[in-house]
Amino acid sequence: MGNSKGQTANSLERSPAKTVHAGYTVSGYIKDAANGEGLIGVSVYVKETGTGAVTNSYGFFAVTVPPGTYNLVISYVGYARQTKTVDLTERNVRLDLELSQEGKQLQEVVVSTSREDDNVKNIEMSVNKIDVKTLKRIPALLGEVDVIRSIQLLPGVSTVGEGATGFNVRGGSIDQNLVLLDEAPIYNSSHLFGFFSVFNPDAVKDVKLIKGGIPSNYGGRISSILDVRLKEGNAKKAELNGGIGLIFSRLSYERPLFKGKGSFIVAARRSYADVLAQPFLNKDLKGAKFYFYDLTAKGNYRINDKNTVFLSGYLGRDVFGSDFGFNWGNATISARWNHVFSDRLFLNTTAYYSNYDYSLNTDLKQKSPDDFFRTDSRIVNYSVKPDFSLFLGKNTITFGGQAIIHDFQPGTATAASSGAVRSFGVANKHALESALYIGNEQQFTPKLQLQYGLRYSLFNYRGPGEAYTFQTDVPFGTRREVVTTVAYRGSDVIKTYGNWEPRFSAKYDLSPNSSLKLSYNRLAQYIHLISNTTASTPLDVWTTSTNNIKPQIADQIAGGYFKNFGRSNGTGSEFEASVEVYYKWLQNQIDYIDGASLILNKYLEGDLLSGKGRAYGAEFFVKRNTGVVNGWVSYTLAKTERQVDGINNSNWYPTRFDKRHVLTTVLLFDPPNAKRWNFSATFTYASGTPGTFPTGRFEYDGHVTPIYEARNNYRIPAYHRLDLAATLQGRKRAGKRKDDNWVFSVYNVYARKNAFSVYFQPNTDNPRVTEAIRYSVFATLIPSVTYNFKF
Amino acid sequence: MKALLIFSFLIVSVLGLNSCTTVIDAKLDTGPTELSVDGTITDQPGSQTIRLTQTAAYFDNSQPSAATSATVTVSDNMGKTYSFSDPDNDGYYVWQPTAKDTLGRIGRTYQLNITYQGETYKASSKMNKVPPIDSIIFVKRKLNPLSKNEGYRAEFYAIDIPNEVDNYRVKFFRNGEFQNKPRNIITTQDGGFGGSNNGVTDGLVFIAPIRRSINPDSLYVPNDVVRVELGSLPAEALTFWQQLRTQITNGGLFATPPTNVPTNILNTNPNGRKATGFFIASAIRTRTAAVTDANIRVRPD
Repeated sequence: MGNSKGQTANSLERSPAKTVHAGYTVSGYIKDAANGEGLIGVSVYVKETGTGAVTNSYGFFAVTVPPGTYNLVISYVGYARQTKTVDLTERNVRLDLELSQEGKQLQEVVVSTSREDDNVKNIEMSVNKIDVKTLKRIPALLGEVDVIRSIQLLPGVSTVGEGATGFNVRGGSIDQNLVLLDEAPIYNSSHLFGFFSVFNPDAVKDVKLIKGGIPSNYGGRISSILDVRLKEGNAKKAELNGGIGLIFSRLSYERPLFKGKGSFIVAARRSYADVLAQPFLNKDLKGAKFYFYDLTAKGNYRINDKNTVFLSGYLGRDVFGSDFGFNWGNATISARWNHVFSDRLFLNTTAYYSNYDYSLNTDLKQKSPDDFFRTDSRIVNYSVKPDFSLFLGKNTITFGGQAIIHDFQPGTATAASSGAVRSFGVANKHALESALYIGNEQQFTPKLQLQYGLRYSLFNYRGPGEAYTFQTDVPFGTRREVVTTVAYRGSDVIKTYGNWEPRFSAKYDLSPNSSLKLSYNRLAQYIHLISNTTASTPLDVWTTSTNNIKPQIADQIAGGYFKNFGRSNGTGSEFEASVEVYYKWLQNQIDYIDGASLILNKYLEGDLLSGKGRAYGAEFFVKRNTGVVNGWVSYTLAKTERQVDGINNSNWYPTRFDKRHVLTTVLLFDPPNAKRWNFSATFTYASGTPGTFPTGRFEYDGHVTPIYEARNNYRIPAYHRLDLAATLQGRKRAGKRKDDNWVFSVYNVYARKNAFSVYFQPNTDNPRVTEAIRYSVFATLIPSVTYNFKF
Repeated sequence: MKALLIFSFLIVSVLGLNSCTTVIDAKLDTGPTELSVDGTITDQPGSQTIRLTQTAAYFDNSQPSAATSATVTVSDNMGKTYSFSDPDNDGYYVWQPTAKDTLGRIGRTYQLNITYQGETYKASSKMNKVPPIDSIIFVKRKLNPLSKNEGYRAEFYAIDIPNEVDNYRVKFFRNGEFQNKPRNIITTQDGGFGGSNNGVTDGLVFIAPIRRSINPDSLYVPNDVVRVELGSLPAEALTFWQQLRTQITNGGLFATPPTNVPTNILNTNPNGRKATGFFIASAIRTRTAAVTDANIRVRPD
């Protein structure tokens, strides 16, 4: 939401006579002159008072000042700065503005934050933003620009390994990230396991990752918020974008609606390996399916100065199969209404629907009606979420609430054996998650800015359904058998949890270009991903909290020092740097008994264990914003551990994604005398993740079986990789609107066989000989070429 | 389930990505040496054997050292005790029947007693019921949809015992040779995948994936002789076999956390040295069929 910018000592010099009047407000929307997109995070600075604001997620801002005439400086990295004189002596003023991009945009690549010296001056900490322009230049696997893979280049973000779904933030598991696409949650952010993410880069406008100091308007997950905002569509002229890569081909179309009062964008992607392979498939594989696609669309309509509505949708699916079929996908719809009540009160109301489902069928072609297995699973959410922002000069108050209906269908199955058909599965789970919050961002003294808030979340696990109780007197780490089953009706509440979630951040300016920041937050999470494999699979089910599964809770403190230096080019400092440290405590972390049965298990809760976690670390980040070579270097030193009664003799052990050192470098190179070429490189180094290695063996019926003494007691070899990319701009032809480029990239340039895991197995030919086997997802370099065009 | 994911993962290869496995050197610590028990007693006529060995370092690729000079007995809940001896001093402790005696009886519970190096270990296991194998048939098939090689896929039919939870292990022999790769460890609950789907397949014909699990990597050829053994298991032995198979085939993107397979061999002194392995009582039914016209069927699937 809106952030009031640092006030300076000037505000103390106001005339005492005029302080009886609270002042007047200038407010409005700031948009991109080229396409009418609302700009997020634009700085609006009042020269005379040194106060200001930044635009919110919808491009709206409001600044309140004592009566008078003021000069406003509106600036945004990569856009030409504008100065406006506004007369606020007698009344509030509405100011809607459009900013034009600076001409040499390709040379002035925005690396992340968008406001001038935003990292120092904004109270936000532990936040990273990636501009889509930068995203598109980072060398990508098979040339597919990818949001999730790119954020793994940021400090504090890691993954269990290449190809694994999702990402881990500051020691959190993958289900602890709230992945929002225009405010609707995405449950599985990947296509083809973790190789590609579901966000179509042609439709994405802004990506923001919040790892700490999470404000009170966010809740529901305990590790991070990945807030992805879609483009609104070009409101000035029709535009066609597309690309042909090795995996996907992409096409998007956007245009104004209702004489510029609205616009829309529709973007689609589909993989086409199956289409190319079809002629080569033999009779048995004819009709084999293996593809994935997604469709992203958004429209907006500006009813009047006070009301704007948005409608966004996403539909994506992965489909595999010939005789046997397997498919999964997400669908979301979110509708939003921006309403400006007054110059000081802004409301956004979001209503969304989100669905994730998968289904599996062993007999797609119905060749064997007597013997088959079919199952499906579904998560549906409906939610309403009003968010108010009240702009009061030194205070920006945000308040609102959210109600989410969770309708989980963990899985039903139909199986037939020799003609006998049986159905079974897990009863549906229902829950209502609601929250109220209030927060304030306050300029406490000229140098000290505070953001504090409180969120109360309430979770009702509801009928209709069955609730179970389990044995309590079993040894740690073993299955608890069900003791009682109670049936509940639709109106019954089975279990209620409530949590107060305090949030606090402070920023103290040490100098105009350096600041200290501190934050604390508590977050609660009521839904959990049940996954016991190294990489999560699309078959993993989510469950709500129940009478047996307590909500996950995280407390995090973080502190940081932020400094900008180097010459300023008028839109920010040349370098920005930060050091952050954090410590995080996690409660009620889910783990699993040995041999746990997770799929289609009615009594799943009896196979779950509950433990605690802790994670701490330091993150170093230096970024060069301008110049022929720009980009960033990030280094993370971290540790993340768990303790679960019944695992590892109840001792603390490192999590599977614990990496002591992670270094990432992103370099963007714009040779001054090569007009059509630019280059980029990324390098990643990460300590090996832990592995459980055997310390003995015994033979049973001819099988050499490993003996273990501790979990995650060894480390697999370190990971490092270099990727390169080059972009060649097409020649501009006079009078043609066409704009095109070729992107050449090489992933894993020196073809390192990075270990995903090391596992131990008997040799297939000589089972008495045991081997340590390094498993690499990519064992070679992967070149690719992508052609992009725009009309 | 994992097989399905691996199938899907193959798609990645189709898309031109290549994953790879390499044997590497690893330096491992070695834990304390323990007694390991490999003992399954059956209701079949003839001698019964329990093998005692010592655990070793993980990369010790020699034959495991025998645990010799132990006292091994098995007693049942009807008061009979059977004595096992190791005349060859090789760790194979054998009970020899007198006349037409057999050791195992369905419905009885057996207790194993081992005294070894001053420690006493006990384990118990119940011999459960097992249904007969009704038939074994063969269907002509390609090795896989991409292959030109054809052969005969075997399928055995058995019906689960109704109204109770039954656990079984399936073993198969090609021309007398026991097929014993890790993927040939086949267990089933009520003839289905079991584990969590309590009673779903109770009383049904064993499901197709189990019926067709008795095939080696290559298909059978005409006149091959296939023998299938269906053995009952107590519930804890089903878990043991399932986890043993998981632990020796556990790798790749979707590996589960490596963990010790369970044991039912308990030292009577809780502070004494631990043991590994499992003692299992299993009733066995077998059937043998050859790949001949009489057993070959023509079917679409």
